[in-house]
Amino acid sequence: MATRNSTLVLCAIGFALLAFAPLGISSKFYLDILTLIFFTAYIGQSWNILGGYAGQFSFGGVMFFGTGAYASSILVNSFGVPAIIGVVVAILAGAVLALGVGYLSFRSGLRGSYFALITLAFAELLRVVANSLEITGGGVGLFLTYAPGLQNLQFKTPVGFYYFALILLAISIAIVIWLENSRFGAQLVAIRENEDAAEALGINTLRRKCQAIMIMGAMGGAAGTFYSQKYLYLDPPIAYSVHLSVEMLLVTIVGGMGTVFGPLIGSLVLHTVNEVTRNFIDTPGLSLIVYGIILIMIISYLPNGLIGLFKGRGSKKAGAAQGDGDA
Amino acid sequence: MSKFIPHLGGSRRRFIRNAGATVALASTGLSMPHIAQAAGTVKIGLIHPATGWAAYPAAQLRYGAQMAIADINAAGGIKSMGGAQIEALLGDSQTKPEIGAAEVEKMNEAGVHALQGCYQSAVGLAASAAAAKYNIPFSVDVGVSDKLVDRGLSNVFRMADGYGRIARDASAYLGEINAAAGSPAKTVVIVHEESEFGTGTAKLLTPALAERGLTVVDTIKHANPTRNFDNIALRIKSAKPDIIMPINYPGEYVLLAKTLRQQRVDFMTSYSVLGGGFNFKFIDDMPEIAENMIDVNHWYDPRSASGQAMRKRTEADGKYFTFEVYCAYMSIMLLADGFERAGSTDKDAVNAALASSTLEVDFMPYDKTEMVNGQNMGSRAVAIQAQNGDCQVVAPSAYASAKAVFPRA
Repeated sequence: MATRNSTLVLCAIGFALLAFAPLGISSKFYLDILTLIFFTAYIGQSWNILGGYAGQFSFGGVMFFGTGAYASSILVNSFGVPAIIGVVVAILAGAVLALGVGYLSFRSGLRGSYFALITLAFAELLRVVANSLEITGGGVGLFLTYAPGLQNLQFKTPVGFYYFALILLAISIAIVIWLENSRFGAQLVAIRENEDAAEALGINTLRRKCQAIMIMGAMGGAAGTFYSQKYLYLDPPIAYSVHLSVEMLLVTIVGGMGTVFGPLIGSLVLHTVNEVTRNFIDTPGLSLIVYGIILIMIISYLPNGLIGLFKGRGSKKAGAAQGDGDA
Repeated sequence: MSKFIPHLGGSRRRFIRNAGATVALASTGLSMPHIAQAAGTVKIGLIHPATGWAAYPAAQLRYGAQMAIADINAAGGIKSMGGAQIEALLGDSQTKPEIGAAEVEKMNEAGVHALQGCYQSAVGLAASAAAAKYNIPFSVDVGVSDKLVDRGLSNVFRMADGYGRIARDASAYLGEINAAAGSPAKTVVIVHEESEFGTGTAKLLTPALAERGLTVVDTIKHANPTRNFDNIALRIKSAKPDIIMPINYPGEYVLLAKTLRQQRVDFMTSYSVLGGGFNFKFIDDMPEIAENMIDVNHWYDPRSASGQAMRKRTEADGKYFTFEVYCAYMSIMLLADGFERAGSTDKDAVNAALASSTLEVDFMPYDKTEMVNGQNMGSRAVAIQAQNGDCQVVAPSAYASAKAVFPRA
């Protein structure tokens, strides 16, 4: 309970500060980078629910992002539906797709690397389908019109997208906090730790896993709308990019899987490292090498992610305090 | 650089301290490029995919752009602005649209007066839209999507051609080459990459080829990257086309050409449109495969003295004279001319000057520059063919340096 309250207080203070940040940050570039950090943390958080809490590693998380992006973009382009309604459809599309993929995969008993590969295959299949359909614009893609306004979820300045991404991030963290303190979340953790034992205890693992992937799908759908309204262009390689699938699991693993703030810390550190290396190293490609080395170091030294630093310190302090008490 | 690399032999504590220092250093704003506010300087941001699969063409683009900047500065800079020198700010899109757009934000913060980029259409679309919010003049170097200039953005300009006109011209040239040989070719197979560049071009080619009496018997799409063309080669073999028409990026272009050779696929000629891999490097590296292959692409005018001189300079620097070099050079010239005629860095004035540009580019096979919605209507692609280890212009006849070898020897 105390942990939950301290987490909530921390979140409240953090988001209050972030909400006022644009008043103190005049640089639109930094706001844009922060927006990307929040966005990546958000999709990382969606992966965290299924991968970090339920223990079901997916390599095709981008499929929900892409499907959501196409759903809202098609509605905007072909039917003139405002994006603010399109995002709801995108969320539903992501969730429905997730239910289909999840049910087919989990019903077949796919776990571990088999599940990871089947999600990768689904994402690839959707990329090929999107490439072939007229309604998605095929390989030419979809171009969205620049029309700033809240109903279109487009903004004249990076500040608007900053708040859009911040709201998404806040929602994702709220979902994970709820998960950490709910029976459903505990059941997901039980599945992660030992699925057979969880099944034996009476947990309907198929249902729970499907619910977890649906949350991931819904969140991915919203992320897709965010992207398409911000960059106004979508094609299959963007919508179903393997790179994004990797990025969402990378920020979570680096930050700390199965934790509330892991994806945010991972995203913050990885984006910062990326920006720093890019700006200080002029030789093309060298920044990526340095970035890679830093990544390897983090993963090697911190198997529980960066958040393990704080947890480790916290438990040490607790242990020391306990020792003092004993003495 | 060493500031950000943890000591490899260090303790965990030291590593953590250094990692923390990295984050702290970044958060203090040191990662912003520090640009000296030199008086009388015109800043042009160059956004290219310096890291990633397109690193080679990006390096060529940077080289061409920087060569142009050096030449303009050496010739006295922007004279109407008291000899203001051009300064280049380098940006890396990493082949990602969102990073390309973020680079625009960064360069806008750094006080850039114009932008040039981005090789890939998808990145160019995102970056030019971001630039439009600040009305920053944006000169497209290589990026063939017609959407770049069709979206009604008043800050976007392109000297080279887009795929709409290139597809039209490519069909016309092929019709001429085929007719000159007695029309032996009747069928075509198009092999294209799956993004907008390949798909859009292929879509336009099919009806245009039909008008020339050529039937497209199969259109094969492939992913980026594709590392094996065996199945596609077998599919082409079974279709038995007279002409194979690749439309793809460098890696896939070269691999497809090699595979067709290995599989001994028989055809009259390979006639690519905007073939990313067809250049002097390809001809040098694989002379037997390249011989008599034809490509329709951006190309310099081999008869012009300035074109020949630029080629010599480039090769003297140990680089190949690929289309990226002179397309980037030309796009910087366009911006410089805009500043020259505007007489200031005022964005509205520069955009207006660019919109009415009549820039003469004597090293390209172009007519007089005429901007319509940001597109130079005087530009054209030409058909080039590998002949005896060199590259010759074979169409249109007004710029031809040799006669086309068709069907191939």
